[in-house]
Amino acid sequence: MEQILKDFIREQLANGTLEEEIDIEDDLLGSGIVDSLGITRLILFIENEFGIKIPPEDMLIENFMTVGHILDYLSRRKQ
Amino acid sequence: MLETLPQIIENSARSHPEREAFRFGSKALAYSELEHRMHQLADHLIRIGVKKGDRVGVYMNRCIETAIAIYGIMRAGGVYVPLDAMTPHSRTLFLLKDCSIAHIVSTRSQKKRLTSLLTDTMVVESVIGVTLDLNIKSISWDNLFENNLENYQPVAIGPDDLAYIMYTSGSTGPPKGIMHTHFSGLSYARLSADLYGVHHLDRFASHAPLHFDISTFGFFTVPYAGATSIILSDAHVKMPFSLAQLLEKEQITIWYSVPLALIQLLQGGFLEQKDLKSIRWVLFGGENFALKYLKTFTKLWPHATFCNVYGPAEVNQCTYHNVVPDDLNSNIPIGEVWSDTSFKIMDKNYKEVDDGITGQLLIQSVTMMRGYWNNDALTKKSTYIEKVTPTKNNIYYCTGDMVYKNEYGKLVFVGRNDRQVKIRGYRIEMNEVESILLRHEGVQEAAVFVIEKEEGVKILAAALLLFPLFDIDSKMMTKFCRGLLPQHSIPTMIEVLPYFPRTSSGKIDRPTLLNRITDKLIDA
Repeated sequence: MEQILKDFIREQLANGTLEEEIDIEDDLLGSGIVDSLGITRLILFIENEFGIKIPPEDMLIENFMTVGHILDYLSRRKQ
Repeated sequence: MLETLPQIIENSARSHPEREAFRFGSKALAYSELEHRMHQLADHLIRIGVKKGDRVGVYMNRCIETAIAIYGIMRAGGVYVPLDAMTPHSRTLFLLKDCSIAHIVSTRSQKKRLTSLLTDTMVVESVIGVTLDLNIKSISWDNLFENNLENYQPVAIGPDDLAYIMYTSGSTGPPKGIMHTHFSGLSYARLSADLYGVHHLDRFASHAPLHFDISTFGFFTVPYAGATSIILSDAHVKMPFSLAQLLEKEQITIWYSVPLALIQLLQGGFLEQKDLKSIRWVLFGGENFALKYLKTFTKLWPHATFCNVYGPAEVNQCTYHNVVPDDLNSNIPIGEVWSDTSFKIMDKNYKEVDDGITGQLLIQSVTMMRGYWNNDALTKKSTYIEKVTPTKNNIYYCTGDMVYKNEYGKLVFVGRNDRQVKIRGYRIEMNEVESILLRHEGVQEAAVFVIEKEEGVKILAAALLLFPLFDIDSKMMTKFCRGLLPQHSIPTMIEVLPYFPRTSSGKIDRPTLLNRITDKLIDA
């Protein structure tokens, strides 16, 4: 799951501008790895890939700031 | 009487040193602190060789150091050039070369991108705000703030000196650098502070990134009035729900953005639960505000005044219109010109047109740019000189925007002068087609293009973004258009897309969208 997310962000969202691997703790939103269109695409991707629906009220910084935050959020949703 | 932009900070620091000038999350900068740090950066820049008129890049995500960066650069006599950290390196490298930037002010969170940008680049000599593992001089903010300003020799700057250069993308050709002086920037601060009655208790939500011209409201106007600018983080700008929470917490009084940023805030009905009685001005510009959203907002925030702001970056702002209920059934005017500004509406031959007739808008104002960087030909091409007396000329900027004056004397925006097309001899106004498509209750956004299907065969194509839970196909849409548009104005190809590409300032990225639609046509 972690690798799927990292690959998608690196290959599809970062415009090929990232040289290094994405780290689980990289700030996706603040540093500009993902732009605002990218976050829409990332949410669509997560919904399709992991078969869940992300309601608007869950679209918070604390759920999507890093790959780590996304994984935490997804595991909370599974319970 | 203020003459330069840094005097804004010196002046506000004198009259209320302890008041917050900028806030970013839990970090705040009081006016006295900002003044001190502005001088620390200016001193450093002077020491490393920045001379009056030198261009200095600002490569940052949204952060509190942006305020120190721009005022420090200007205080050193330098010219700040915003560099969008999100843009591909090729464009940034073009800008670095185009206005020969030798120094960049940045921040630690840009270390990775800045390193990859500056590897193999010879133009940049030093970086401030982050230490790099490259063969380039660099200093961190912490080290810079240790400067005790011993032997500091402030540079004398005047109103006619250059203050900043903003690059616009332009739909064709390379980016253009718009040069503003201390005089034009300060004039904008004064006119906007006066028009909106900005006062020391105001709390402004600074949404625009630095490279977007409306950022000058948060960075110039707000400190001019001695108020507080709350710089929204990049994360908040991307996460509307977190943003709504922040607006409530900070009790924002003035908002200014493209309509899209407001529309995103609406989604999910989250905003309705937020107490935003504090908000008194909602300024929007850059694009049309779809009426159905604007209506929702005027109901949600009846205590706020909504102002349609118009002005190309070349003149900062130049017209305004405060929305009244009657507007909500038609095209919102861009209104009237503000103080110290005059206008003309002219036809292709530069003859003034009668009231009600559409022509190009020309603007003369104290907020007007000096010209385009390194491009006299373009500057000349976009200005119109009116001889008033043998010794006095009035210089107008040709906006390229088509407007007319309505029966109430207000200016109404019709479209770009390049948005009128001819297909098979029929004249088609693409803006009109877009506004018809938007009338459908399921359509959130619409963009209309001309595509050259094969040589000499042009067709009209539309891209649509739908509201959630709507399912509309091109057949249904064509049927909808039939009663509202002449046959030749109905798009031949209508594509529903899951999202629209955007520019970094939130406008629809039309060139990219056009490419995407063209690809679909070829695939089909």
